[in-house]
Amino acid sequence: MPGKFGKPTDPDYGERLAEFEARIARGEKIEPGDWMPEEYRRQLVRMISQHAHSEVVGMLPEGAWITRAPSLKRKMILIAKVQDEAGHGQYLYHAAETLGVTREEMLEALLSGKAKYSSIFNYPTLTWADIGTIGWLVDGAAIKNQTMLAQCSYGPYSRAMVRICAEETFHHKQGKEMVILYAKGTPKQRAMAQDAINRWWWPALMMLGPHDSDSPNTPTLVRWGIKTKTNDQVRQEFINEHAPEILEAGLTLPDPDLRYDEATGNWLHGPINWDEFWAVVGGNGPMNKERLEARRRAHAEGAWVREALAAYAARRQQTAVAV
Amino acid sequence: MNEQVKQALIAKLTALADDELILAHRDSEWVGHGPILEEDIALANIAQDELGHATLWYGLRSTLDGSDPDRLAFLRDAAEFHNCELVELPKGDWAFTLLRQYLFDAYEALWLSAAKDSTYKPLAEVAAKILREERFHLQHTQAWVERLGLGTEESNRRMQAALDAQWGYAQQLFVPLEGEGVLVAEGIVPDLGGLKQTWLLHTTQHLQNSGLKLPLQPGYQPTSRQMHTEHLWSLLAEMQSTARWDAEAKVW
Amino acid sequence: MDTQWPRWEVFKQDTPSKPHQAVGSVHAADPFHALLTARNVFARRPQAVSMWVAPASAILSVTKEELAEGRELKPSTFDLKPSTYYVFRKTSHKRSMTFVDYVGELEAPSPEDALKLAIERFTDAPALAWWVVPASSVTKSEDSPETVESWFAPAKDKTYKQQSYYGLVGAHAGKHKRTQGDDDE
Ligand SMILES: [Fe+2]
Ligand SMILES: [Fe+2]
Ligand SMILES: [Fe+2]
Repeated sequence: MPGKFGKPTDPDYGERLAEFEARIARGEKIEPGDWMPEEYRRQLVRMISQHAHSEVVGMLPEGAWITRAPSLKRKMILIAKVQDEAGHGQYLYHAAETLGVTREEMLEALLSGKAKYSSIFNYPTLTWADIGTIGWLVDGAAIKNQTMLAQCSYGPYSRAMVRICAEETFHHKQGKEMVILYAKGTPKQRAMAQDAINRWWWPALMMLGPHDSDSPNTPTLVRWGIKTKTNDQVRQEFINEHAPEILEAGLTLPDPDLRYDEATGNWLHGPINWDEFWAVVGGNGPMNKERLEARRRAHAEGAWVREALAAYAARRQQTAVAV
Repeated sequence: MNEQVKQALIAKLTALADDELILAHRDSEWVGHGPILEEDIALANIAQDELGHATLWYGLRSTLDGSDPDRLAFLRDAAEFHNCELVELPKGDWAFTLLRQYLFDAYEALWLSAAKDSTYKPLAEVAAKILREERFHLQHTQAWVERLGLGTEESNRRMQAALDAQWGYAQQLFVPLEGEGVLVAEGIVPDLGGLKQTWLLHTTQHLQNSGLKLPLQPGYQPTSRQMHTEHLWSLLAEMQSTARWDAEAKVW
Repeated sequence: MDTQWPRWEVFKQDTPSKPHQAVGSVHAADPFHALLTARNVFARRPQAVSMWVAPASAILSVTKEELAEGRELKPSTFDLKPSTYYVFRKTSHKRSMTFVDYVGELEAPSPEDALKLAIERFTDAPALAWWVVPASSVTKSEDSPETVESWFAPAKDKTYKQQSYYGLVGAHAGKHKRTQGDDDE
């Protein structure tokens, strides 16, 4: 049920906003039907639907390798992983639906190119090692974000994220296992793993979003308990965990400036190429067109299936009424 | 187990595994491209299940001859695959995929129900284990056949086209392997002839209740698992491409 | 106009001693299709022994805040025959992947009446949110052992979806806490 969405022009807005923020400060969850600022709802719909789109588009780069997975075990794991991403999209669309948007509207926004999704999925998967690397780096970065969002003040989003986090840990582990294995494998496997790390490292850092100084929404999102950390904080956590592990595996990272800083305990990174990031976000990444085209095709080719079941259901209901 | 029985059983297990592997592969081509999120997830379940069944059958073969399931799947040539032709056919549209899955599940559930009483214990156990999943598959695919058959004119037309194309191929599921007779005689595997009648009865009834007509001309009916369609070579070329890319690789 | 099919809420029971819990929703065309879909989406991992689905449109949902603000629960104005309603409730703000839990069923002439009754009857814990679902709108998985074995048990064997399957990959790296390349080769 869409709840009551307060506007700053409402006479009781100030009072209600104070109550609302007090609830969040007490660690209460906001549930569908509860009062919330219209802006809170707007930000949630934007974030959750983008997040859902990312999961769904994110099936494509990895899904492309299901038919080429090199062992029965890897094939099985990859099907399950890509399936989980569909599941995550499914859970997230559900969370957004509780705010009164429909799946139809959200899909229309995605397919028309209006909606955004994570920049990372506009890069191509060139070799099998990309699959391991995506699990390790991309899911690794995503988990950092998702663990934070599991604390989110909006009940449905938080619950979806808790469920997603529980599933996502295996995505990360299977990728890490694979890359570490190949790093110690044959020369070809090793070279393939290194090449994949080289290509995915920077995009993985970028996918955690622009620097705090360039993300105007963050302070509001933090105050309302939608996010509990800033992009740069999450990125730092990600690097601190992954950089030493990748080096430990005997691989290198494509950042000459990367170094461990004793004073802060952080791994410091070199400058991120934000021009590349904004180009990809703006639709000019290597795979933007292909990804969207694949989604559109699946949607269009599935239309007759959706219509057929709707027709079957309608007819059944009619006969039930007639009897 | 004497050598003749053992060799016959190895051949049968290979055929069972190959069917499941190739079918799983075709199903898995849908992942990310299904008609709606929920059904993308549903078919990925079936693909995982069938792949799991393949792994179980290869594993059982392995206990007999020490073969490596991954080598069998990823380094064997097309001519050595013994799957039926039905499962090789390209995935087609959603009607084609779901109908094939239904025809296969109906056969598989019947076969397993009988095989769970096999005199060869390891096979009986695996059959019982797989049967649990196949019961659900059958409920799921049966529901789809009914809905698409009775849905819209278009869905009915697509289902009918799929049935016309597949009915002949499906009959191959009941053609025994050369040498399968000794396994039947020993009570190790069920007699396909008996199962076929039950399968025909069930599928015919369900297809007709779903507004579909059995083709008057069944069309081409493959009879030997030495034969394949033109599609198997390219399917394997893709499936085996990574594994064959690095001949030195020991683990993936 | 595209259809993504109606939305159905899904209630999953993990073990026979636990209540059905709202786990999320699925888009599906008809009741049995919704049940199959719920199983496909929400039983990919253990645990489950039973699932229910109900059309989202059939559910009355009311939060504690709405009640406190005096959301009116209109008693039925007609002399309706009482029918059965399932009542679900959320009682905690704790981190969770499920929403309301099943607390019991009752007879009432309307969903609003059912909720009023529920508020009087289920007082063992403070309610943060209520769902009232007409029993007639619910489709349930079969309770037979064969169905439980076939629909829900196999998920336990899919261990490759559990992180424990991957053991301890890559022990934690301490010695690399220096500039990269320092101790390469
Ligand atoms: Fe995900
Ligand atoms: Fe199977
Ligand atoms: Fe099956």
